[in-house]
Amino acid sequence: MDFDAIVVGSGITGGWAAKELTEAGLKVLLIERGREIRHQQDYTTETKTPWDMPFRGEGDHELYAREYPVQMLNRHFNEYTQSHFVNDAESPYSTAPGTDFTWFRSYGLGGRSLTWGRQAYRWSDYDFRANARDGHGTDWPIRYADLASWYDHVEDFIGVSGAAEGLAQLPDGRFQPAMALNAVEQHVRQVMKDNWPERCLTIGRTANLTQEKDGRAKCQNRSICARGCSFGAYFSTQSSTLPAAQKTGRLTVVTDAVVEAIDYDPDNHRVTGVRYIDRKGGTRKAATARLVFLNAGAFNSVHVLLNSASEAMPNGLANSSGVLGTHIMDHANTLSAMALMPGFEGHTSFGNRPTGVIVARYRNMETMDGAGHSRGYSFQGGALQSTWTAGKREAGIGAAYKDKLQKPGMWRMVLVGFADCVPRASNRLTLDRRRSDANGLPLLNIDFAFGKEELAALAQAKADAAEMLTRAGGRVLMGFDRPGAGGTAIHEMGGARMGNDPATSVLNKWSQAHDAANLFVTDGAQMSSSACQNPSLTYMALTARACATAVSQLREGKL
Amino acid sequence: MTKRQPGGWDRRDFLAGAALLALALGVPFAAVKLSDLPADLVPTARQRQLMKEVSQLVIPRTATAGAGEVGTGDFVILALAHGLEEARAALLQDAPQSLRAHRRADGSLDQMRWLEAELDHRAGGDFLDQDAAARSAALGALDAEAYAHGADGHPWRTVKALVLTGYYTSEIGGSKELRFELVPGRYDPDLPVTAQTRAYSSDWTAVDFG
Repeated sequence: MDFDAIVVGSGITGGWAAKELTEAGLKVLLIERGREIRHQQDYTTETKTPWDMPFRGEGDHELYAREYPVQMLNRHFNEYTQSHFVNDAESPYSTAPGTDFTWFRSYGLGGRSLTWGRQAYRWSDYDFRANARDGHGTDWPIRYADLASWYDHVEDFIGVSGAAEGLAQLPDGRFQPAMALNAVEQHVRQVMKDNWPERCLTIGRTANLTQEKDGRAKCQNRSICARGCSFGAYFSTQSSTLPAAQKTGRLTVVTDAVVEAIDYDPDNHRVTGVRYIDRKGGTRKAATARLVFLNAGAFNSVHVLLNSASEAMPNGLANSSGVLGTHIMDHANTLSAMALMPGFEGHTSFGNRPTGVIVARYRNMETMDGAGHSRGYSFQGGALQSTWTAGKREAGIGAAYKDKLQKPGMWRMVLVGFADCVPRASNRLTLDRRRSDANGLPLLNIDFAFGKEELAALAQAKADAAEMLTRAGGRVLMGFDRPGAGGTAIHEMGGARMGNDPATSVLNKWSQAHDAANLFVTDGAQMSSSACQNPSLTYMALTARACATAVSQLREGKL
Repeated sequence: MTKRQPGGWDRRDFLAGAALLALALGVPFAAVKLSDLPADLVPTARQRQLMKEVSQLVIPRTATAGAGEVGTGDFVILALAHGLEEARAALLQDAPQSLRAHRRADGSLDQMRWLEAELDHRAGGDFLDQDAAARSAALGALDAEAYAHGADGHPWRTVKALVLTGYYTSEIGGSKELRFELVPGRYDPDLPVTAQTRAYSSDWTAVDFG
């Protein structure tokens, strides 16, 4: 064997797998499909001002329409960050008729850990029991107690700032000091508390440091994280897990290497390694290992498994159940309400806080009070003051107009609803073998639609958001109850779900393939339900837990 | 003093690094390159003069320079050609003849040519030959019409949006007229607004969503 373990993908979970496995003494190969992006040195736009940029930070939209038509819809995509996103024209995917799915991707070392929103929430037993409770999907084989110590482990390493609130539905973590609410948010929090004691608005729990940690500086309140942060102040592969793994001396990193398949030995029921395309050399290569961790990102991990079909596993690797690729999810999200918040004209703030707020789920907990749905929704958003861009919507020219735009504008409060997405067999990934990408690999085909549960949840979220902001003195300007396209929450997950029964799930409770014990899938693909809060922290905790299991089983000779 | 390990930066390191980078590269100035545009989109000298003047009328000189003075006119022309503010979206089928007469080859409105014709028409001759008050009145009337109820898709809105972008993302507009802080270093959640308070062009959330 060339390596003890191969980790496919260097994003949030791949970086974690590399760290945990190397620190446990394993010799690890980390394979990344995209280019090398070095911490600090390669964050080429980080120090740029708008007037340094050819298109002032807005970017060349003619180019974007041609080559980045999907990625340009990402709120973090702009002229500074475009090199951290995939070129859609070079890496296309297909969608089924009627499917509207925006698949946001970062192909480069660090993957989406460079561009993620950094919101880091624990899931609760409302989430891990959700499928068992309402019968959608398959029951999770784990509960919160199985993950609690792993959440501790992850938070201790990555650094999460947040406020402890004692909420069962959004368990507290091991937080660094919280970032502060601004005056409007503080007011809205209090109004909610006074009127609806079960509704809690709290500062976003974010993987941005508020205290120095392990050679990483604290957040400088720039809020331009997706350019890359030389302070190392937010969690990314580059700032955190990669240096930890490299420090062991047991990590090999290969970039520009697209894994096309995982090899499987039917005699031993074990995977033996991976085959990959060296993009620079244009050649096909292979590497062998005792373990494979698949961390290519939920949908690409499913792609690799489907594309690893063999005589022994004709429907795809680890797919004896036939559910591989099914039950994919993404949070249904929309702007539930935006309101002007009069009365705060004498207040302003300084600095760019790199997080908003969250209103934790409060529906369908002890009482089933969802209108037409059985799960939860939460809100994220915050209060902000308008600035010169508000002038685009206003009549006026001349000195008075210019003077007006010199002042901070009105406060407005935004609540974006995130609804739990029910797992459905009809939402699935397949390979489109009629079409191939530049590497000659079949395109991933996405078949996805939200259902009546998500629509009902967002309708109730809209009504609630308007009611809360109005009660807080706001004047609601707009609100929506139709979700954005699938993928817009950038929480696409599922496709290789975890479950107790090998006949109905791909992975067991250790994120380990039922069909091949030395294959672990620990990114979003493993998720059996979606919850209504951000999933990355849970992916990380599951990855660390799976690594411990893998190492233990390896040492016991079980793998 | 806090112990720092190699690899950790603080704010002082960062600003020093940025200054060194600027020295090494020369002062980074992203010149607007109109010469790179396709032949049919390269502006005439008059069009450049007109857009400079229009920019200056929207954002005139006060205590700081106006938009025309800081190169906004050329930025607007470049931005229109490259589709910022959806400037290259196809013109609607039922658009009036006054717009359809100025279509680009791809079916989008050539806002530059439209504006040139529109302002000359309003001036009853060469807009640029009018005195300052007349130019301002003509543009003010156009602006009022463009923001009237029901005028949502008016092409002047696209041009004006880009004038604002060009100005407030210029060094003068972004850091002298407004304030700019590359590395705030802290977050103050609640400060009083005073007569001296000015907005920050580096408040990215406000820029994106305000």
